[in-house]
Amino acid sequence: MAPTILYTACVGSAIALYLLLRPAPGSIKVVAVLLGLAAIGWVVKEAARAGEPGEAPVLIFYLFGLITVAAAVRMITHHRPIYAALYFVMVVLSSAGLFLLLEAEFMAFALVIVYAGAILITYLFVLMLARQVENPGEQMMQPEYDRLPREPAAAVMVGFMLLGVLGDMVLGGVGELPPSPSRLQQRLAAVEKLNLLPRRVEAAVRAELGRQTEALVLVDGDGRRVHLAGETVYVNVDGPGGIQQVTLPEDALPENIEVVGLALISDFPVSLELAGVILLMAMFGAVVLAQRQIELSDQEKQAAANAEAKAAQERGR
Amino acid sequence: MTVAQATTISGHALGHYLLLSAVLFVIGVVGFTTRRNMIVMFLCTELIFQAAAIAMIAFGRFHADVSGQVFVIFILTVAAAEAALALGLVVLLYRRKETLNAEAWSELGET
Amino acid sequence: MAAAPISGLLAASPLVAAGPAGVPIAQDGLGFYGLILWLPAISMVLCGVCAALRVKSKLPAWITVGCLGASFGLTVGLYRAYESPVIIPLLQWLNIQSGQLTLVADFRFYVDSLTLLWMLFVTGIGTLIALYASEYMETDVGKGYSRFFAGISVFLFAMIALVAADNLLMLYLGWEGVGFASYWLIGYYYRKPSAVAAAKKAFIVNRIGDLGLLLGIYLIWHNFGTVQYAALFEQINAGGYPDETGGWSIKAIPYLLMLGAFGKSAQIPLYVWLPDAMEGPTPVSALIHAATMVTAGVYLLCRMLPVMGLHDLALPTVAWIGGLTALLSATIALAQYDIKRIFAYSTISQLGYMFMGVGMLASAAGAYHVFTHAFFKAVLFLTAGAVMHGFAGQVDLRKISGLLKMPGWRITGLTMLYACACLAGVPLLTSGFFSKDAIMAEAFVAEAGHGYRWLGIIGIVTAFLTAYYAFRVWFRVCAGEPHFEPGEEHHDASGRPRGEFHPHPPRLAVNLVLVLITVGAVWSIFLKRWAADMVADSTAGAVREAPAHAAGFWADPHLWMPWVAGTVGLVGIAVAWYFHLADRKAAERLKNALLANPVARLLPLALQNKWYVDEVYHATIRFPLWILGHILNLFDRYVVDLSLVDGIAKIPRALGRGFQPLHNGILHSYAISMAGGATLVAVLVFLLPQLVEFLGGLLGGQG
Repeated sequence: MAPTILYTACVGSAIALYLLLRPAPGSIKVVAVLLGLAAIGWVVKEAARAGEPGEAPVLIFYLFGLITVAAAVRMITHHRPIYAALYFVMVVLSSAGLFLLLEAEFMAFALVIVYAGAILITYLFVLMLARQVENPGEQMMQPEYDRLPREPAAAVMVGFMLLGVLGDMVLGGVGELPPSPSRLQQRLAAVEKLNLLPRRVEAAVRAELGRQTEALVLVDGDGRRVHLAGETVYVNVDGPGGIQQVTLPEDALPENIEVVGLALISDFPVSLELAGVILLMAMFGAVVLAQRQIELSDQEKQAAANAEAKAAQERGR
Repeated sequence: MTVAQATTISGHALGHYLLLSAVLFVIGVVGFTTRRNMIVMFLCTELIFQAAAIAMIAFGRFHADVSGQVFVIFILTVAAAEAALALGLVVLLYRRKETLNAEAWSELGET
Repeated sequence: MAAAPISGLLAASPLVAAGPAGVPIAQDGLGFYGLILWLPAISMVLCGVCAALRVKSKLPAWITVGCLGASFGLTVGLYRAYESPVIIPLLQWLNIQSGQLTLVADFRFYVDSLTLLWMLFVTGIGTLIALYASEYMETDVGKGYSRFFAGISVFLFAMIALVAADNLLMLYLGWEGVGFASYWLIGYYYRKPSAVAAAKKAFIVNRIGDLGLLLGIYLIWHNFGTVQYAALFEQINAGGYPDETGGWSIKAIPYLLMLGAFGKSAQIPLYVWLPDAMEGPTPVSALIHAATMVTAGVYLLCRMLPVMGLHDLALPTVAWIGGLTALLSATIALAQYDIKRIFAYSTISQLGYMFMGVGMLASAAGAYHVFTHAFFKAVLFLTAGAVMHGFAGQVDLRKISGLLKMPGWRITGLTMLYACACLAGVPLLTSGFFSKDAIMAEAFVAEAGHGYRWLGIIGIVTAFLTAYYAFRVWFRVCAGEPHFEPGEEHHDASGRPRGEFHPHPPRLAVNLVLVLITVGAVWSIFLKRWAADMVADSTAGAVREAPAHAAGFWADPHLWMPWVAGTVGLVGIAVAWYFHLADRKAAERLKNALLANPVARLLPLALQNKWYVDEVYHATIRFPLWILGHILNLFDRYVVDLSLVDGIAKIPRALGRGFQPLHNGILHSYAISMAGGATLVAVLVFLLPQLVEFLGGLLGGQG
């Protein structure tokens, strides 16, 4: 894809976003939406044409991507903060879908639970806490600072310049990446992971052999139990009839969540602890910050002091 | 889905994810710099986090490496901590001036 | 008469040939005498402590007198223990070895008889004058008293370092030190603008001379590779010194040293600072600007006499400059009314005699004159100081008369009489007579050459003038009917007199010191042989072979000169007696008669205005420099300051103004700036190479 197409699309979508940010009549908004969609569509079309036929992502990626971008745009253009937060939930949900596409199931659900379920609810609570006092008679009107954006032109210009550069980088960069690991390499890596999980191996072998109770002796070969031959994963079991090779089923290999957990505690233990500390400190900080601080005027302080003195006098008497 | 059944995505597909991530990032930046409500500004930072998370996951998928997902866990951690603290601060600021307008806090300016 | 090359004379002299080669370094036992140098330094520190503690007593004076007295005592002890030239090491100072070059200059005493002669009178007279000052400065107790005595101590420290040094760098240290002390003490009354101006003048004029000395020292080091006397004289006497620069760098040395000596000893053309230096307190004038510091130039030339022989005409130049200075300043002294200024000009005049003596290789006579002059000139200044002190700063000789007949002033008057007689050279009774004659007689010695005969005649004329103006002062101030007017210090700020004035005659300390120094002056008559030996035994002892005593009275100038000089002196005194005692109106009449004549009136005017030398200097040196200074000032103000310094300083300010709107305190602006910065970095990193490639391709395609 030629960079000029990307830049032109950037300019177009920049104009669209600028128009959407400014308060404007509905017709202009429609034009802006159409302009933005056209820019995105053009880029997508050019991108699809650039790749090999089988390489393009599945169609559902485009669906989720479009929902994400649209929700994000709506989030920053909506005048009411509550709606902005809800649109952000939408962004989170659709990106969770993208995570699923990327075979990161655990992260997808964690994202929904933590972001949409916890963080966004906090935002909503705060939004409600900080709600403007409404005069009952007046028509519900958002405050001026929610309606009018600040310096949209400069912001959009800077942002889309950045997008142009980033897009150029991405499109030029992915071609130069080393090839993705092959299926065999991935299998080997999975077998290595499995070697770190002996109980899982044992359970799989027992299930395979149907021997639930007898002693099971797995033969070690240079520190490994699980081996890979071609596509088959097997273990050597020392049984009555000599050493027996047991092929493991595909689902004996670890799943995504197991791999993530393993990586967390084996590769990033310190980071995990630090994350815990950060959360703890954040909790303390939030508790301290959220305490209501009562500010007394001088008169009130004086009155309180007088009352105290009086009480002391009375006690003394 | 087990790892063994995993397929890889092509570099071309990775480019799509990264482009989407860049778009989200830029929308987050534009939102942060245009919206004047402090809470919405923080929401926009969450959007930026989201963009980073998508890029991480996509790269992790491309390299068949779970480190990307681990990093997203840390991003979630930081986002949660940031939300807790930042929202606490926003509440404090709101109590001071009874407004969520970020421009109300410009005493540090030189003009 | 053919001029004999003086360097040849020097080499021929058996004394120099014996030379200072292999001066032994005292291993131990003599290091104790280093206290001669350190005692004044200790005194300075203690005076500084007194100043810091705001001592309101005469303690600083007693500290100084004690330390200087001890120093003098040690000097006497060193003199008695002295047998042959010796070097006393004190401490290591500079010892630089870099490849072929070496520079060794340690704090070491080079003790020979010349050094001892100077050290004796410097410390001795210094002690006595400090004692005198303890009473003279008593009105300043608690104010500047500590400062004054700290200055005296600094001076003595530097002067001892100067005369006792064993190398030229330590000498230079002392040289600058005495210059600094002189500046300090001339400017002692720093609230008085004239004193401050005089201090600056002395400092700046001396700087010219000091530059000469410094360059001379550098050239000596450059050519001979050493600044230590012993090694230096050894090389010069051996004669085999390198001459690689075509000779000029060696021939310039004596003239540069001479310049330094002229500056410090107030000779033409650098004498103008000395009369103004009388703004300082009188003990300072007596000690620094009459007895000791100004003789440093003579000392330098005596010490460096072998070096002065490096060019044939160097010493005759010294002699002629000395003679002309003597005459010029004597003529100026004729027409002055300020007693201290008259004595200042007489000092310059007598210094001229000393240079004349040294220049004519009669260094023994010159040094003897230094010695006698130190005593009688100190007395003259101290008596003038006593008069000033007693008459509230009165220094005009027309306004005081008949001092002898006033109660309590007898000692002052009599000591002044003897000192004036010494200055005038009254035969047989006075030390000045013997020392001056020895110099003038040398001019008429047959082989002298260089027109020295005329120089001798100038000396005789000067002697007549000297006798006249010395006794002019004495007859006016001390003789005649008692009469006085109080000086300026008696008036308050508005100029009205503060009640009735009573002169207060000097008390014990002043009288004691006057008598002691006068006794020293008398005693110095008998020291002619001793002083001559002291000089002859040292490196300055380049005395020419005394000519074979030709038969007959007129053939030997050393025989007839005392008669001539004595007669001339007595005639001068007689003239002074007529004009200033017998018929005081006659002087005014003569002056008026001269002023009435349009041609002749120039003479008294010129004399009174010091031959307009200051004005000439002003027009030829100061005024062009003033113009240059203003031009440079304008350059500095408008080019350097305004456009360069301020201009550069304005750039960041303008930049700051430009970026100020970004700092409006609004979060969004900062966010946009930050995002814009990140974008710029990204653009630079990723697009610039592409852009360059693209442009390169474009150009290449066109090419």
